[in-house]
Amino acid sequence: MLEVTNLSVSYGGLRALTDVTLSVKEGQFVTVVGPNGAGKSTLFKTISGIVPPAAGQITFMGTSLFGLPPAKRAHLGIAHVPEGRQVFKTLTVLENLEMGAYPKAGREAWHHTLDRIHTLFPILSERAGQLAGTLSGGEQQMVAIGRGLACAPRLLMLDEPSMGLAPAVADTIFERVSQIHREDGVTILLVEQRVAEALELSDHGYVLETGHMVLDGPYETLLQDDRVRKSYLGLS
Amino acid sequence: MDLEILIENVLNALAAGITIGCIYGLMCIGLGLIFGIMRIVNFAQGELLMLGMFSSLYLVTGAGALAFLGPYIGPFVGALLAGPIVFAFGALLHKFLIARVSGLRTAGSIDDGHFGQLVVTLGISLILQNGGLILFGSSPATVRTPLASSAIEIGPIYGDATVFLNKARLIACAVAIIIAVSLYLVLEYTRMGKALRAAADNPTAATYMGIDTDKTYRLAFALGCGITAIAGGLMATYLSFGPFIGLDYVIIMYSGVVLGGMGSILGAFWGGLTVGFVQQCSALVLPPQLQNAAIFVVFLLIILLRPQGLFGRSAERA
Repeated sequence: MLEVTNLSVSYGGLRALTDVTLSVKEGQFVTVVGPNGAGKSTLFKTISGIVPPAAGQITFMGTSLFGLPPAKRAHLGIAHVPEGRQVFKTLTVLENLEMGAYPKAGREAWHHTLDRIHTLFPILSERAGQLAGTLSGGEQQMVAIGRGLACAPRLLMLDEPSMGLAPAVADTIFERVSQIHREDGVTILLVEQRVAEALELSDHGYVLETGHMVLDGPYETLLQDDRVRKSYLGLS
Repeated sequence: MDLEILIENVLNALAAGITIGCIYGLMCIGLGLIFGIMRIVNFAQGELLMLGMFSSLYLVTGAGALAFLGPYIGPFVGALLAGPIVFAFGALLHKFLIARVSGLRTAGSIDDGHFGQLVVTLGISLILQNGGLILFGSSPATVRTPLASSAIEIGPIYGDATVFLNKARLIACAVAIIIAVSLYLVLEYTRMGKALRAAADNPTAATYMGIDTDKTYRLAFALGCGITAIAGGLMATYLSFGPFIGLDYVIIMYSGVVLGGMGSILGAFWGGLTVGFVQQCSALVLPPQLQNAAIFVVFLLIILLRPQGLFGRSAERA
């Protein structure tokens, strides 16, 4: 579904990603883990078109994303739930969700998806008329995920949804993401620093370090790798 | 006797304040869209007002395309048509200059592009003023309509005290209110309006939603230009103007937008109304030269109570 091949990205002369290859198949749950500054968000921003690539190729459902304007990519069915939530603070919760449904697919499925979003996150239905900027961090994350779901995505990309949240709230978010994957059949690409929880949910994991993909494999394989156990899971 | 005159003066000042205030309100909405909502600093807004006035002038007078409509309807149709003309001008201005210092290009930068916008629009303003001087000349112009010198009389209310409502201003005021309300409804309830607010709020996230932020910004900027131009066309029916008239009004527009609260279209209208009202009512006690000073006294008082200031963001609470 999504194929990233030998992707390199530079930020003002600085290499952020080098020769990164990643593949997400339809229906999969794929996680990219790695420390701060490894280039995880850059990878997402390049897929969304906000950051230009230096070399390599990205294709989605067989079509190359390069040369496609950033705003067109959501219309293909790629939903990006950005790092730090980035909700529309001056819009109401409901308006935020409506903006998620901006692409045609989202508009057509609107009534159905809105029900679904409210089932997953009942609090959003209570706060429908409230300005999103006045919500708590966890609620804003729910708005951000709901907004992503509202475009009826084929691929949902989540950039550190647990960032800055209390552990209990983060657990709820993980549970909902897993539910979206299992019950709605949405393909998921997740970037996370909470490695244990993230890998547990996923079919396939990648480890990104200082711009290089150093390791990849299914959950079981990664768990047996000494470096992953030591550096990310705190096991010996 | 004296009381009658006083009452007449006060009532007429109130009436003039409200009618002129509504037109100022419309003028402020144009800037409210560009500066209040899209957060683009535009110091050329006064010159867009001036372009609106001259567009209307050339459409209506002499052998203008609208001359056949006569002096009663012509000036108002001319004012409305100045809108699309300056809208197109604004869209070009955005495409070639403003887009480079706003929107996605400056999203996340320290100043959100404000410094660049300040320099660019100040430059545009100077070019338009002096270009206007070359093209239109320096002699004061006006779009004459007989309605500007006739009034509806209400009263006598108290003794001989009568309120005179200038017909030109009354029509202009009605047009202003209709446009302001329609724009508010469009921004608040349509998909396009919401996309516009979303793009202004967070251009990067709006792009993730599939909103073409560049196009959205261009639309908003051009719309803001066109609306101020319509206000200019309406004002041209009752005052004389030249290429430098923008200077007098750009400050009034900024006061109005800031007074009303950034980011709110109704607020900008309310702010403009307040400014017009204060300006007209101050004429009761102050000499005409000090009318604008009165505006700034009120402005400072309100800012004292609402200290977010020009670049302050009032909508972020969390």
